Amino acid sequence: MSSVLKISPLTRVEGHGTVHVHFADGRFDRVELAFVEAPRLFEALLVGKRFDELPEIICRICSICSSVHRVTSLYAIEQAFGVEVNQQTELHRELIVNGGQIESHALHLFCLVLPDYYGLRGFADLATVAPGLLQAGLRLKAAGNLIQEMVGGRLIHPANLLIGGLGKPLTTAGLHRLRSALQEVLPVAADAIEQFASPLLAEVSLPFPSFMAVANRPSHSGGEIVCGNGSSFPIVDYRNRLTETIVPHSHAKQCTVSGESPTVGALARLNLGARLGPVAIASLNRHGQKLVGDGITANSLAQAVELLAAVERALEIVELLLAAPPTDCMQVAVTPCQGTGTAAMEAPRGTLIHHFAFDSRGICTATDIITPTAINQRAMERDLGLMARSLEGVDRQELARQLEMLVRAYDPCISCAVH
Amino acid sequence: MIRPQLAIAGLTACFGCQLTLLNCEAELPDIADRFNFTYFPMGMSSPDITADFDAALVEGAVSTPCDLETLVTLRNRSRLLIAIGTCAIFGGVAAMCNEEPRSRLLRTVYGPAADGLASFNPAPLERFVTVDFAVTGCPPERGELLATLAALLRGTFPALPAYPVCLECRSRENACLLIERNEPCLGPVTRAGCNARCPAMAVHCEGCRGPVAEANVAAELELLIAKGVSREELVRRLRRFCPEWDYEQRA
Repeated sequence: MSSVLKISPLTRVEGHGTVHVHFADGRFDRVELAFVEAPRLFEALLVGKRFDELPEIICRICSICSSVHRVTSLYAIEQAFGVEVNQQTELHRELIVNGGQIESHALHLFCLVLPDYYGLRGFADLATVAPGLLQAGLRLKAAGNLIQEMVGGRLIHPANLLIGGLGKPLTTAGLHRLRSALQEVLPVAADAIEQFASPLLAEVSLPFPSFMAVANRPSHSGGEIVCGNGSSFPIVDYRNRLTETIVPHSHAKQCTVSGESPTVGALARLNLGARLGPVAIASLNRHGQKLVGDGITANSLAQAVELLAAVERALEIVELLLAAPPTDCMQVAVTPCQGTGTAAMEAPRGTLIHHFAFDSRGICTATDIITPTAINQRAMERDLGLMARSLEGVDRQELARQLEMLVRAYDPCISCAVH
Repeated sequence: MIRPQLAIAGLTACFGCQLTLLNCEAELPDIADRFNFTYFPMGMSSPDITADFDAALVEGAVSTPCDLETLVTLRNRSRLLIAIGTCAIFGGVAAMCNEEPRSRLLRTVYGPAADGLASFNPAPLERFVTVDFAVTGCPPERGELLATLAALLRGTFPALPAYPVCLECRSRENACLLIERNEPCLGPVTRAGCNARCPAMAVHCEGCRGPVAEANVAAELELLIAKGVSREELVRRLRRFCPEWDYEQRA
């Protein structure tokens, strides 16, 4: 006798996904994690478009990650044409990426994960059961969105970030507004960490993840991807290291690196030595033990540490921009030429890679987009299988609850994964 | 006051319209107090699609049998069906290459494995069901979404702008990118409501909110072609958010 436990749709995640756990004679057999999101085929849509059309289209892959998609595409295009932007533009880009990180982590932690701590359906129930915590999370989220709206001109699908520069730089008044908003939420972010320090999932032994992350801060001049085993490779070499495979049950391609199933995201970054500010380092030191060697389960805590780090870094950037002499010309001339460009950045959920090829008129001839959740897909499926096997005999409703929480620990972004 | 039962669903989309609701940080606790989120998989667990809904807010285009099933179920279960965002109303970015064979696009991404995928040209909701109200935008403006929810509580719909982006742009006293800087701005043919966000940053309008009623599309094309932009490029740009413009239309 075989039976299937179907979790459909996965809830409190971005995108359409399902988990099917197959049992044979009452025993666990296998698990399928399916990203059933409708493919929009961005890699095909972009072919034939002129280079300057790409950023506006590509950011629409995902609403939560639109800023980092846009910035990554700018770096890839600029690399293809040998364009270098000025320091102010770089700072604006780093600022909006931090804003995106704040918004994304706050959304995930306080609206999507926090209800699990209280056994609630979602954010709407938190509003009555834990209004103070929800408010704190929403304040953090709003600060991230304020950055995205002020730098990008629109808080989802920013328009102000251009190839070779910026539409309109932040004004001094705008920077002051951001500074006070960020200073206000810095203690909120520091307090939030305790909330996510206690474990949520059933104690199941999950393998130590094969972590992977982009080594350097965003930049068009090369950069490296580092792995947990100490190896590293240049971003431009990604096609020789990452293998994408099409599987019948998911619309997102699965990804391996040297035969292993990589894990990317907040926990990977902290384990691979991300640069943090002093306040975040202090909190990391308090919780450091919990952030290593415990599978993916500590990813929410890692996100909480990063949330604080992103607020801290955003404040630093605001100070740098305030100290920088105002520049009149934010726009560098861009002349298209035949070539290819590759850029990788750390999106909230992990490593994001964009690759484009252009002809001599700057028309896009080929694209490749690899997103964090596609990279995490195999590790997620593996961990779901391990958990379902260890919890064999547990009542199906509880099993489904645990598996959904495990999926949430990875914070999947399924519309990114399928794109 | 009654607490309306809401369904909030995403079809072929980026989840940006649903995220816009969650981005109403200041209002969210109040919204949670006034509505029942009976079916909202992105935000709430245990979604129940078999309930009777007062309103279903649907994001995204329809491009799979699964999308269609969700849409038809919600239409049958809900008193009102509201399309939110450009994709649900016009097809949106996923529909920009609808003139090309779907099979070719699928094969570019999935190779031979594409043949097993159930995917058709992304189309707006109205192609399949009756839509009672629409809030455009990529993504929609928070204010328009909030106005819609507030109006629902009063048993009505809000009056949203039905004029072009230029009107808002001029009232902000922005420099005209089309006339003064010869940029291919799509403001004259695009529906307002965004308060000319992009032109206010000296970035020309990309038409993300879709065609305004009675847009003078033919005149916009003539004007830009006279400025040296190719018709091919203009059509490509217009198609980015709405694949079916009437290029001959004059107001």
